[in-house]
Amino acid sequence: MSKWIIAVLSAAAVAQDARQIVEESQKRNRSNTQQYEGVLQVFNPNGKNTEKRWQFFRSGNYGESKALLRFVNPPEVKGVALLIVNHPDRASDQWMWLPELQRDRRVALQDRSTRFFGTDFSYEDLEERDVNQSDFKLLGEETIEGHACWKIEATPKKGKSSQYNKVVSWLRKDIYYPVQYEMYAKNQLVRKLHYRRVEKVSGVWSALEMEMFDIRRKGRTVLKSDKLQYNIPLKDELFTLQSLRRGE
Amino acid sequence: MKFALIAACAATLAAQAFQQRGYLDLRTTFFPQTAANDSGRVIADTLLRYEVSAKLTPWFKLNGAIDARTDTHRQTERSGRFDWQDRGFLRPALSFRRFSAVAFKGPVTFEIGKQFIRWGKADILNPLDRFAPRDFLNVIDNEFLGVLAARLTIEKGPHTLDIVLQPRFTPSRTPLLNQRWVVLPPDLQIPLPLSQGAPQLPGGVQTGARWNYLGKGYEMALAFYEGHNHLPQVDARFIPGRIELFNRFAPMRMYGGAGAVPLQWFTVKGEGAFFSSKSADNYLLYVLQLERTIGEWTLVGGYSGEHVTDKKTLRDFAPDRGLARAFLFRASLAIDTARSVSGEAAIRQNGQGAWLKSEYTQTLSTHWQARASVTLIRGGADDFLGQYRRNSHAILAMRYSF
Repeated sequence: MSKWIIAVLSAAAVAQDARQIVEESQKRNRSNTQQYEGVLQVFNPNGKNTEKRWQFFRSGNYGESKALLRFVNPPEVKGVALLIVNHPDRASDQWMWLPELQRDRRVALQDRSTRFFGTDFSYEDLEERDVNQSDFKLLGEETIEGHACWKIEATPKKGKSSQYNKVVSWLRKDIYYPVQYEMYAKNQLVRKLHYRRVEKVSGVWSALEMEMFDIRRKGRTVLKSDKLQYNIPLKDELFTLQSLRRGE
Repeated sequence: MKFALIAACAATLAAQAFQQRGYLDLRTTFFPQTAANDSGRVIADTLLRYEVSAKLTPWFKLNGAIDARTDTHRQTERSGRFDWQDRGFLRPALSFRRFSAVAFKGPVTFEIGKQFIRWGKADILNPLDRFAPRDFLNVIDNEFLGVLAARLTIEKGPHTLDIVLQPRFTPSRTPLLNQRWVVLPPDLQIPLPLSQGAPQLPGGVQTGARWNYLGKGYEMALAFYEGHNHLPQVDARFIPGRIELFNRFAPMRMYGGAGAVPLQWFTVKGEGAFFSSKSADNYLLYVLQLERTIGEWTLVGGYSGEHVTDKKTLRDFAPDRGLARAFLFRASLAIDTARSVSGEAAIRQNGQGAWLKSEYTQTLSTHWQARASVTLIRGGADDFLGQYRRNSHAILAMRYSF
């Protein structure tokens, strides 16, 4: 009986550790604002690749952030913009601005597994998730690309919707920053995300390159961040529907 | 002094945020059948559109867009004048599609000039879009026209108030009498030839206001409009030797509302408005739709309804009401970053009219994109959609974007 209690208590302690690690990771890499110019390269299974460029602005943090993403290239999508308002307790609200139609349109995302503009990122992958939306479990420690890492499993809390039934992440022990993620749907590996060119920018560890693999499609998308800046003044008005319409 | 001025201007231009985009669109439309008043089967269109915006200061921005176009079916003017009003029968060869100045400070945005104002939340049919006349030369493949207006928008927290003043009326462009999108009843006995007369454009100011609220898990809007309908009533007058048809635009008042509620399985969107007029029908027009994404598919299905409370109009051109009492569908699939397919349909509840359109789009390179679409129209002669049953068509288009 006492052994069983000890086992339960130690399991609880390990779970607490995993959550604390994730919380510490989010705390260390917290920034009030973020701005970068992104280059998305989508490689289809047949080897063809397409490139899209955007400007990205974020204000706020996990669970309560607002983001504005505006395409600047290729010409056919130039001006198309997406406003994302994240909520700690429910799925994000998203609106898309279509300059050719001169109207904004609420994006209906019952299925957030939908690929974002044909890339290997899904809309859900672009959301910033609050630590309270998942349960965490420390699976162990592994060395990835020469870095000692914690291997942590996150599962959505009861009542929280996600396309993934679990996400396994590897966090570097030295800087509390992720190296890679594996996303599972119905316990099948469906996506892998690698963080590359990890550098400290304005005091915040950042991956200047991310590579997402879609296992089922056999496609991959590389997202490169250029002119990355943190904690710069961004007005609240930038993250409104009016700003979306004005094309700022 | 002159040098200093030039240097100052250059510095201002360099400092401003300048954005531009545009495209050259080459389109060919094929009609398998001729019409009673139109033997043409192939129409080629060319459109060059250039849009530019310049943010001169952190709170002031200029927007402009010009169109240059021509076609093989006399739908575009052959003169080289620059049009800024978009009030003619024909599409202008050269026109200012948009020119406006926008000032914004905190929650307030003020835009004045030729601009686009879209209030609707639904797809396919938007009863609230009263400041959004369209070019209906080809009734099915239409596009919006800008309006000369002043628009004040105040966005504070979840509330947005929009007040619009349109001092100069812009009508929708209606089909040409000598072309296939004007269908005269086959049994109509007219002793004299018909001609298209100048429209009676109303003076005065159109005004409107909309309040939008973003709630927790829902969005809603209430709107009011007072002015004239941009869609005309068609009237006739006897001129020696001919009968002249001309457009009149009835005064109207609109009270409307719209809402969107994202639910677990569907997003429900609804939009409806009641229109009252002393010289035209009083009616309620509404649309209710469900929207869902499944994987790469976006599916929209809905119903548009109409309830006439007071019938006064004998003959009008009203494509919005023409889509009423119908089931509406839209589906689109993003195959990958370069290819997409979409389909739209409106099927009358009594089965008397149907319109179905499917489109395939493929990006060929950074700048080039190809489109192919097929539109099928079926129905009876008495139905708004069915009357165009000889106008089913296919379109092949190439677009160079820059």
